[in-house]
Formats: sequence, structure tokens, C-alpha cells
Amino acid sequence: MKRYYLGELEELILLTIAILQEPAYGVNILKEMETQTGRTVDFSTIHTTLKRLEEKGYLGSEMGGATSERGGRRKRFFRMTKSGYQALRENQEIRNRMWSLVPPNLHLKTA
Amino acid sequence: MNKHEIPGPPAWAQRLLKWYCPADSFEEVEGDLRELYAYWLDTAGKSEANRRYCLNVIRLQRPFSSRVTKYYSSPISLTTMIRHYILVASRNMLRSKAFSMINIVGLALGLACSLMIYLWVEDEKRVDNFHANKDRLYRVYIRQHFDGQSETGYNTPALLPAELKKVFPEIESATGFVKYFRLSLQDDVYETFQVGDIIHKMKGGRAEPDFFKMFTYPILYGSAETALKRPESLSISRKMAELYFGSADAALGQSVRFDGRKDLTVTAVFENVPVNSTDQFDYLMNWDAWVAENPFKQSWGHFGTSTYIQLRADANAAAVEAKIKAFLMKFLQGYPAEYKAELALAPFGDQYLYADFENGKPAAGRSEYVRLFSWIGVFILAIACINFMNLATARAVKRAKEVGVRKVAGSPRSFLIFQFMGEAILVTIFSTIIALAIAGLTLPAFNMLTGKQIMLPLNDVYFVLKLIVLMLVTGIFSGSYPALFLSSFQPVKILKGTFSFNARAITLRKSLVVIQFVLSLILLVATIVISQQINFLQTKNLGYDRENVIYIPLEGDLVKNYDLFRKEASATPGVKVVDRCSQFPHTMGFRAAAVEWDGAGLKSNIIFNMASVGYDFVDAMKLQIKEGRGFSRSIPADSMNFLVNEEAVRQMEIKDPIGHQLTIWGSKKGTIVGVLKDYHTGSLREKIDPLVLDVKETLNFGTILVRTSAGETVLALENLEKVWKKLNPDFPFQYSFMDQHYGNMYTSENIVGKLSNVFAFLAVAISCMGLLGLAMFSAEQRRKELSIRKILGASISNIITRFSNDFIKLVMVALIIAIPVSWFIMIQWLKGFAYSVELNWWMFALAAASTIALTMLTISAQAITSAMENPADNLRSE
Repeated sequence: MKRYYLGELEELILLTIAILQEPAYGVNILKEMETQTGRTVDFSTIHTTLKRLEEKGYLGSEMGGATSERGGRRKRFFRMTKSGYQALRENQEIRNRMWSLVPPNLHLKTA
Repeated sequence: MNKHEIPGPPAWAQRLLKWYCPADSFEEVEGDLRELYAYWLDTAGKSEANRRYCLNVIRLQRPFSSRVTKYYSSPISLTTMIRHYILVASRNMLRSKAFSMINIVGLALGLACSLMIYLWVEDEKRVDNFHANKDRLYRVYIRQHFDGQSETGYNTPALLPAELKKVFPEIESATGFVKYFRLSLQDDVYETFQVGDIIHKMKGGRAEPDFFKMFTYPILYGSAETALKRPESLSISRKMAELYFGSADAALGQSVRFDGRKDLTVTAVFENVPVNSTDQFDYLMNWDAWVAENPFKQSWGHFGTSTYIQLRADANAAAVEAKIKAFLMKFLQGYPAEYKAELALAPFGDQYLYADFENGKPAAGRSEYVRLFSWIGVFILAIACINFMNLATARAVKRAKEVGVRKVAGSPRSFLIFQFMGEAILVTIFSTIIALAIAGLTLPAFNMLTGKQIMLPLNDVYFVLKLIVLMLVTGIFSGSYPALFLSSFQPVKILKGTFSFNARAITLRKSLVVIQFVLSLILLVATIVISQQINFLQTKNLGYDRENVIYIPLEGDLVKNYDLFRKEASATPGVKVVDRCSQFPHTMGFRAAAVEWDGAGLKSNIIFNMASVGYDFVDAMKLQIKEGRGFSRSIPADSMNFLVNEEAVRQMEIKDPIGHQLTIWGSKKGTIVGVLKDYHTGSLREKIDPLVLDVKETLNFGTILVRTSAGETVLALENLEKVWKKLNPDFPFQYSFMDQHYGNMYTSENIVGKLSNVFAFLAVAISCMGLLGLAMFSAEQRRKELSIRKILGASISNIITRFSNDFIKLVMVALIIAIPVSWFIMIQWLKGFAYSVELNWWMFALAAASTIALTMLTISAQAITSAMENPADNLRSE
């Protein structure tokens, strides 16, 4: 079976796209991620990751219609593909399974 | 708020982004960043926004981030595109058949011409350069200085080669060589060989034993070492072996009777000498035996044979040349102090193309023709390419819509350039194939014309590679302008229908036509001048009558029976005068500073053309006497007397030549009995030299001259043969005609003349084809204009003039440029002749008139059709 590998940022972006109610594109993905995680994210990082995810086939994209906003530049809207969703699910399952194996009386080292 | 005050991100960052961001994702990236920038402006202020924007732009530039993703990746593959281009190209060609024909045929003719010229030039360059040791083979020549004058020539003493080899270790091998075995007969001479009943005259020479080691004349039977070693050695060609013995392998060791007096043994059979060798011979014989037979050849002061040497592989030619420079003087005793003879070296392979001497160094010669034709080849190809460019740009109007649609559909400019360049190359490929066919078909005729054996070397990889390079260069050159021009159209303009040529394109097209006609006109003028000069050479009054003179070799028993032969032959019908000369009178090559006279003083070193003749030489040659009289058999003292020419009197600076005392060769004393009017003793390339003639009817060399009655040559020959058979039975009767010999001196001029005729005609034809294409196009473009003119009352002749004027104007401009240029070029060419035609205005007028006439002819058909058309047909569609 094909294995799905997702980096942390990739996973977060996929989740963000899943969360977003409106069509997802560069800027609103970035903003949503900032609100959800509370950390600043670089646009360039987002852009490259989106491209990578599309290459991997986890995302599909299409150009939006022409607008008068933002200098008339169109937006590229991203949607998760089936395999993207599966990768995300699989990641989650692995974590769930592993969490379930963590003993409740975990002995932690004091710093 | 004013629009200008909206703060935007730094311009340099935007440019940077545009520069490196992949085109397929540029739009959304820039949009996203702008949106963010506006957000940052609101939340963090301008400077922070700028900082973040720039930072992001820079960070986006990740060398390893993938640019592979193609959002617009086209589903059409490259092969489909190419197939599409070929389809479009062939449709275009078929749609306008006339244009395509003009294009392809014009280019094919041009290519065929350049191809033939290239083959000819290569062949010329290969002459004498086919020897394996060619880089080490040199020919020794002599520069003589005396009395402020100098003379340079290839003739050297017969003893020189052996001596050079003995003294200088750098000279590995050396050989003398002589083709003209009979003294002073500077033209083809045959010798007689007999085996049993088979008796033939052959052409050959003498050489030393090193000969076959030095040169690449492959030996089939026998060995290079022994081929010429012994006095009775005889090396013969395969042709000669087959002639005498039926086959090449049967000849070795056989005995052959030479000249009816000497038995020789075949010691080697060599492969027939290739045509691209200057030295043509069917046999070679031992050198030393020949020198022994001819005592004057043993003198160091007699320069009459060639010296070829081969240097050691490590020897430096310039150093050797310096070492041998003064060598000859050691052997020349008793010469005046101011006389100097220097030896020098010329590469053996240069003797054909650089046969002439200038300032004591080999120069120009035939290489000038080679250069001339190389230029003609380039000219013609350029004319053909210009045709192609012109027609393609002219027809751009037809293709403009196509370009517009392609651009709108998203074709980048590079694709369009590729497409049009590709079409040009495609046409060139067709043309090359046709050109090869033309060349293949016309080569036999071409070979006949030039006396060569050129073949299309299609199995030669280098040739094929060169051909492909030529094809690509031609294609790219002729396609470059159309491709750049067509691809530069603005789609909006084209599709709106407001497209028209800008002035620059029209000017360029016109100047191309002008260039084309300048080139054709230069070729045309050159052709006219060259053919005039050749005509001049052939018809010039030489001062003697070369018609109706037969040469008969002086050989065998004829040497001692000469007087009898003269008497009997002159008595037969058809024969007018029989006389003799020690040299062929049409090309006297023998010159010496051997004349002394009273009051000579410092002038005694004038070089004279010297010959010994019979008593009736003046009559036989039909020379004109200026003063005094010719030789006479009835005056016994005439055997010691002399005839000179006007030039001799001039150079000797004597006032009263008749009766003046002369001494030649320091021993023969006599007086001048007559002064001959100057006549040409050699090629018209040379000035007339001073001449001294004396009478010697007993020499064992030279030629017999027979003047026959006009129109009775056949009868004369029959009678001469009878007398010959009686007096000289061991030799086959052989004769040749003086005018033929004379014509042969100008073979290369003749060939050049014929070739330049052909090529000039083709150049003009190709130019006219281009013009025809442009006229056709122009007629099509101006159909409506001309129709309206006609409706408004223009007469047919009005329209024709208006239509033709455009083209005639161009030809006129070409004329103005071409005439001075061609005048300059032809002046240079004619300088090579001591006697030449004058450039005349009518030569240029003829070239101009014929070009204009041809232009008119070419366009008038189009002009008349356009003028005759019914305007209604052309105007109703709109």
C-alpha cells in the first residue's frame, strides 16, 4: 500500500484548508493558520508548501475569476483531493494509535 | 485619496519577483503578496510592510523549489507541433505554386552554381597536392639579377639536383625533371617508341632515381628504387603498357626501341598519372644517360630543367632556402661581377596555382581565377538567398493573419521564429536535392568545358557534412529576416486589418533588390570584358600569320636530311615555304644575355630572345621587315649574319642598325642585315622582348615550319607525308598546327571565359526570377489601385509605365553603383596582361541595356496582364 508522508507544515496546511469554509487561497490560508496556531508564518513558505502538496497530488487548484481587487490579479484556489484527505486521516490514525499506547502514568523527567 | 499616493511595495522587489517567478504561478503569487502587503500596511505600518514584502520575495526564490509544475502544460507534444508546421508549410507552398517554384528553383540554381564552383575550386586546389609527402616537396627556382633587372624562373641546370642532395644533408631526395626533352621547344613534344610492329608517339620525360620515392605515382610492377636507375631503364604508365603489351603485368622486363636508335628495358609500370597533376607523362627515362647525350646539359650555365627536392622531415624550409641561396654562384664562372643568381624554394604543390613570378617570388597566376570564382559562387548564392528573403517578406501580407491568430492562441515569438526558419530550411533542403540533381546532370558537360574529371563526392563524409552545413547556413541566412520580420507583427493590428508594411521593411526589400542587381551587373560586365579580352588574344595581329602553318618535328633521319626534305617538300603542290626554327616561334622561351655589340658598355647584359632559323623564316612566318632585308640563301655571308627586332634596336640604343656588328655567345660574329617589325614571340601576357635571329640549318633540334597555301592543307599534308616516308621511314609522320598551339596557350582564359559566361547568365536569370516573383506579388497587391486608376481614365500604357517604373528605378540605382565597382575590378584584371583591350563605355552600356531589357521583359508580362484586366472583376467584391 502506498504510504503517505506528511511534514508538520504540510499537515497544518491541509488541516487549515479543511477547516476553511470559504475557497482557500494563499492569503486566507496564511491568516487562518496564524489565528489557529498563534505563530507567524512566512508567505513564501506557505507558497512553496502548497506547490509541493499539489505536486504530491494532495491538493488540486484552479484559478478564480478576474477581480478588480488586488491589482486585478486572480487568485488560485486550492481544494483537497481524496488522497490528501486520506494522508491526513492516516496521520491522525497513527497518532491516535500511538497516543492510545502511551501509559497513563507516564514518568516524566524533571528539567 | 489620490491614486498616486497609495503606497505600493518597492518597485525593485516587484521586478525581481517578475523576473524569477515561474510564469505559470506569477499571477497568483503577486496577487497574494499584494493582498498581504495591504494587510501588513494596516497592521504593522509601511516600513514593516515593505520589509516583509521584500523578505518574502527573496525567500520565494528557492533554487530547489520545484518549477516543474505546469499549470498550463500543453497537451500538444513537440512532434505534433512539428508535424503541424510541416503541414502548414506544404499547404502554403501548394497554395501559391508559382512563388514556391520561383523560390525553390531559384535557390536550387544558386546552390547548384555554388556547388559546381566549389567542386571546381577544390579540384584546382588539389592539383599537384595529392602527393603523400607534399609538405616536404619543394621546387627550386632561380632569381637572376643583372643590370638593375631581374628575372625569375623555374628552369635550373640539369646538374643541380644531384649536387644539392650531395652537399646539403637537409635535402633527403632530389630529382631533375624534364618534360620537354627537345631543347627550347616549350610545348608538348612526343617521342617515338617501338615494340615489334607497334610504333607510337608518346609524351614523357626524364627523371632521376629518387623520383618515384618522392612523388605519389603508384608503381604497379617493379620497384621505386630500380625504376630509373640504369641508363636503359624505362618506366611506363599502365596506359602505355597496355598499348604496347596488351596488359600492365606483361610489360616488365620487356625491351622497347626508343627513337629508332636505342633499346630500353621496362623496369617499372606506374599507374596512369592523374589529371590533376601538372606533370603529365606516360614514360620516364634515366636522367644521367640523357644528360650524357646532350653535352650542353652538362653546363652549369644552361638553365633548362626542373629541380624537385624533398626535405628531411625535421628540416626547416626557410633555413634550407637561406643555405642554398648562394650555392649556384660557385659554379657560374666568368660572369660579370654584377650578375647574381640565387636559388629559392617554392612548395611543389603551389606550382600550378602560383605559376607566375612577381618581384622574384611566386605569385597569383591561376590562383586569381580560383579566387575570382570563389567570389562568383558566393555572389550567386547571395543573389539566390536575397530572392528567397524578398519573396518571403513580400508574401508576409498573406501570412500576417496566420501570425496574428497564432499569437492570440498563445504562441510565443520563439515558436514563430522557429516555424519560419524551419520553413526556410525545408525549402533549402528541397532546393539542395534539386541542386544535387542539376549538378549531377550537368557535371559531364562541365567537365568537358573545363577539361577536368570532377565527380560529385557523395561518399565523402566531409563533403556531405559541408553540404549539410551549406544547406543550414543558406536556410538560416535566407530565413532569418523573414522569420524575425513575420514574428514581430502585432496581432491586434493584423487582426483589425490595419496592417501594412512599415517604411523600413520596404526600404530593406528595395535595397536587397538593388544589391542583387549590382552583383549581377558586375558579373555581366566582367563577362563582357573577359570575352572581349579573349577575343582580342585570339584575333590580335601578332605581327606574323599563324594560320596555315604546320609544325613537323625535326627528328630521326630528318636532322641530316633536312635540306633534301626542304627542297622536295617545297616543290610539292599545296606547300609554299618550308623553313625551320630552334624554338616554336609562337612561344619562344629561350632568353640569354649573350649578345655583345660595339658601344654596348654597361648595357651588355640585356636579355635577348634568341633563336636559330632557316633562310626563309621571314617568308614562312610572313614577318614584316622594317629596314634592310631578310636572310638569303644566295648570300653566303648570311650564315653569320643576324636579324633583330625593333625592340632590340631600341634597347641596344644603336642609331644605324643595318651593318652594325654583333657577337653572340662570344664567338659568332656578324652584322645586322635587317630589322623586323616587332612581333609577338610569346603569350600576350608578356611584353615583346628584344630578339636576335641567326641562321643554322644543321641543328639537331627544333621544329620544321611549313607554310601551306590557304585551303590546301589536306593536299599539303598528303604530300608532306610522302616526302617524310621517303626520307625518315623509321618514324611515324606527325604534325600539328601553329594556330592550335597558339590557342592552347590561352586555355585557362578560354575556360574562364566560358565559365563566366555561364555563371553570369545564371546570376542574371536568378535575379530576374526574383524580380518576376516581386512583380507578381506587386500586381496582386495593387490590383485594386490599378483598377481604380483605369476607371478614372488611365490608359493601358499609363498603367504599364506606372507599374514598371518602381522596378526600373531600382535597376537604375543598381547601375549607378555597379558601373564604378565593376570598372575598378576589371581594370585590375586587365593589368595582368601586357597587351589588353581598353575598357570601353559600350561594355558597360551593353551590360546595362541588357539588364534593363531583361527587367522590362520580366515585369512587362505582369504589367500588361494587370493593365488589361477588367476593373469590374477586381472591384466588385467590396
